[in-house]
Amino acid sequence: MNILAVSINHRTAPVELRESLHLNNDEIKSLIHLAKEELFSEGLIISTCNRTELYGIPKNDKLDVLDIQNFIFKYKDNSDVKPENFQTFASAEAIIHLFKLISGIDSLLIGDNQIYHQVKESFQTSEEMQFAGVLMKRIFDAATKTGKRAISETEISEGAVTVSYAAVQLVEKIFSSISKKTALIIGAGESGELAAKHLKDRGIGRLVITNRTPDRAEKIARELDSETISFNSFKEKLHEFDIILSATSADSLILTKDDIKNSMKRRNNTSMVLMDIAVPRDIDPSAKDIDYVFYHDIDSLNIIVEQNLSKRKIEIPRVEKIINEEINTFISWYNSLEVAPTIKDLRDYFETIRAEEVGKNKNRFSSEDQEKLDIITKRIINKILHQPTVELKKINELGTSPEETAVKVSVLRDIFGINNNNKENNH
Amino acid sequence: MNSTITIINILLPVLYVCTFGIYAYDFWKGEKKFTNSKRVFLFITLLLHVVYLLSRTVSFNHPPITNVFEIFTILAFSISFSYFILELVTDIRGTGPFIIIISIIFQIISSLFIKESPVVKDILRSNLLGLHVFGALIGYSGITVSAVYGFLYLTLYKDIKLNKFGLIFNRLPNLEVLETLSYYSAVIGFILLTFAIIIGIIWLPRAFPKYSFADPKLIGTFSVWILYGIGILSKTFGKWRGKKVVLFSIAGFVIAILSTMFTNFLSSSFHSFY
Repeated sequence: MNILAVSINHRTAPVELRESLHLNNDEIKSLIHLAKEELFSEGLIISTCNRTELYGIPKNDKLDVLDIQNFIFKYKDNSDVKPENFQTFASAEAIIHLFKLISGIDSLLIGDNQIYHQVKESFQTSEEMQFAGVLMKRIFDAATKTGKRAISETEISEGAVTVSYAAVQLVEKIFSSISKKTALIIGAGESGELAAKHLKDRGIGRLVITNRTPDRAEKIARELDSETISFNSFKEKLHEFDIILSATSADSLILTKDDIKNSMKRRNNTSMVLMDIAVPRDIDPSAKDIDYVFYHDIDSLNIIVEQNLSKRKIEIPRVEKIINEEINTFISWYNSLEVAPTIKDLRDYFETIRAEEVGKNKNRFSSEDQEKLDIITKRIINKILHQPTVELKKINELGTSPEETAVKVSVLRDIFGINNNNKENNH
Repeated sequence: MNSTITIINILLPVLYVCTFGIYAYDFWKGEKKFTNSKRVFLFITLLLHVVYLLSRTVSFNHPPITNVFEIFTILAFSISFSYFILELVTDIRGTGPFIIIISIIFQIISSLFIKESPVVKDILRSNLLGLHVFGALIGYSGITVSAVYGFLYLTLYKDIKLNKFGLIFNRLPNLEVLETLSYYSAVIGFILLTFAIIIGIIWLPRAFPKYSFADPKLIGTFSVWILYGIGILSKTFGKWRGKKVVLFSIAGFVIAILSTMFTNFLSSSFHSFY
């Protein structure tokens, strides 16, 4: 199988190098355009915050992975990136890598199913740019199926593996219906925004954001269809919130134990969840001593994250089993591309010889024997070809590698001169 | 008929242990392998238990309430039956092991020691009394299940507070659900206890014309009934919630057990039948 792949990822290069080769959507399209001209008949380009990868069927048999790396450097010049910062794959290894990637087991966060959607989007871009031929489309289908099976048949994507998502998971262990709850996000930085998005995704009833700089809070509120509250006055309304998530960069405490105590009194001791994911912490940790107050900081949330990551790691062998099954199915299909035409060509070749010889000699037989001659010679040819046909079909069934299949098929064709014969016929 | 009763008497503890095993396996492993089959298993166990109770009633010509071990088998049935109904209504299937284990204890004791009393008092052949006892036992099962959920609530509450994210955290439903389950079980228990008390009030003057309102059984039963009444009303119409409600439920359960033991085994009451 003539497919090559190169990958710069979190295993091979630090973030600054990965960043330098990151491609946005427009850049991917422009690179596909160039790759079609210079390198590949069909292919795929994936670029996320943790990796940039190129897959392709070379136009030229002499093309190797170094040519692909140089091609990337030509487009995204960075002298710090060295060839050793790339992982390279050829043939079935490239497909296996793609299947591992889409299943999430090659991700920095094992089981991260965001990669599944990112790979699918990359497939779509390839198709839109007519960069996906028969082989690539089949690879897309097989990869998508593998990713889907990994997510649905294993627990590789189960549980929260980020602090902000762990916070949401914890909230769901306290409240039964998050859609009836009100949440306050203090701090509209990256962590606050991510937590706000998670809460919104889980269907939080009312989401309010506060930030020292109101513009930033308003921007996120607009994006998430939520509300804002002034940073100077939010403490007065603390009792309205069932969930308070704080993620500011303040140097000192924003909420004291007394603030929480007072708000608990005003809400008749209805449960309140405090998630402090700021470092240094924003909420007085002694607030956890108050009844019905569930206080958690980044360390306690990290316990959940670590547990879930360990569980996901245990699932890797199950995902690898799925990958093996899908790879075998794909390779069988690929081998059949070589084997089926060969069987047909072989049979055509023998039939031609038989028909010619019968044609030349049939006048030596009586008219009633000519029909028998036809039947007998056909039977002889069938018997001769039975074993080679069975052996060729076995190549598919036994999961032989595409390279081995290509060699066997090529030897057979050479022995009988099928290629030459076809070429002569074409001429 | 008697041989059928003997066979089912041996089978019942085995079936309860098997049902518990399936529920416990799913809980421990966190898998959903037996999500539906465990419910079917519990249903079959309960069905066989119904057949057993009916067989005893028909065969011995009295409801199975004539000795403590007959009462125990009804308790085993009603506790698991209460759980089964709760599981059907709420579709929360992860808490079975904590309830079914109580049935196992009652059923094993019952199966080991149960025998037909040679002489059955005429009073115990009353169908009205049978109805009263069934109502009371299902009522007590309700408050037992409520106390178990209350206990699970407190365990999970403590685990979350102390950042212990182990098996309890991962497998149990959330705190609000546990609180709701505890509350609904208590309500069902309270309704059935009320039913049992009403039947008892109707039956009592007929069976014991000289009964006294100062009888320890009556005082104990009414105390438990009033206690649960206060708890349920406070939760429904007042501001009681969370830990306070479940603690009240657990306290109510402990008082109910102590009261039953005291009035049935230690004090002198019209209610001491065995």
